[in-house]
Amino acid sequence: MLTFVEEILLLMLDDQDGRLVDLPRSAMNGVVAGAVLMDLAMHDRIDSDLQELRVVDKTPTGDPLLDGALARLATSPAGRNSGAWVEELARDADDLREQALARLVSRGILRKEEGRFLWVFHTRRYPVIDDREQREVKARLRELVLGTEIPDPRDVVLVTLVEAAGLWDLLLTEAEQDKAAERIAQLRKMDLVGQAMTQVVRDIQESIAVASTMAW
Amino acid sequence: MNLQQESQNGVIIVTPAGRLDISSAKLVEDSLIGIIERGNSRLVLDLSQLDYISSAGLRTLLVVAKRVETAKGKIALAGLKPNVREVLEVGGFDRIFAIHADRSAALAAV
Repeated sequence: MLTFVEEILLLMLDDQDGRLVDLPRSAMNGVVAGAVLMDLAMHDRIDSDLQELRVVDKTPTGDPLLDGALARLATSPAGRNSGAWVEELARDADDLREQALARLVSRGILRKEEGRFLWVFHTRRYPVIDDREQREVKARLRELVLGTEIPDPRDVVLVTLVEAAGLWDLLLTEAEQDKAAERIAQLRKMDLVGQAMTQVVRDIQESIAVASTMAW
Repeated sequence: MNLQQESQNGVIIVTPAGRLDISSAKLVEDSLIGIIERGNSRLVLDLSQLDYISSAGLRTLLVVAKRVETAKGKIALAGLKPNVREVLEVGGFDRIFAIHADRSAALAAV
């Protein structure tokens, strides 16, 4: 089973040209950090409430993508809430993202292509070789948000990640998004860490929007 | 976590006491799924003795609600303390579960 970081990166990749969607790096890092925390929660390593996120089991999961974050959480003072941890882990998320992409390459799901843009700028693309996982996740998410059934906790996490990364345009038509708006608004609340992550990512995007307005 | 169970007019009433967090979530989930798998799909969770619920506790409730839905049953919550109710409302779980003031109102609803 893929980690949430791998799943959301797959959803962020453009099917056609293998580039990641246009999301500010700091916002993408918030999504990646939230994905790692929600994976640690699914592995019963952390638990949280409205006030605090805490480590309940320091035992490594065996997954290097998660265990670095777990070690960092375990050696830090207690008392920080989920949003503060998303912000903290987001600082190292460039590395987590690269690790996750490398793993998707080694799993045979993506291919890495290096190149140059205008003969100067270094570019990197990740064309999808095996799109089964990507198609399955997209189909599951569509079925979930356009239907009425009670979700399972993993699907709630995926909805939260897609919402925070602003990827609904890749999954639903405009009419479907209108139809599913209320349902998505409900589902995205159901994971408390996911809720905190979405807020952190929104705050980042708002601050970028304000900064760019001021620059004009 | 202490988990009391009783039956009334074909409805199973489960009363968890203490904290529903990662240390008790598995016990509660297994117990409730066991009840559903034995053919009882009308449930009331009397939460009047539940002092605390965490993210892991919310996930447990979600898994149980899904099982009840699959079994075409009904589930209702009763007697929530304000702090527990707040967490459920923030997580939007009041849209998944019928929440009642007390056990008798919940029993009438399932």
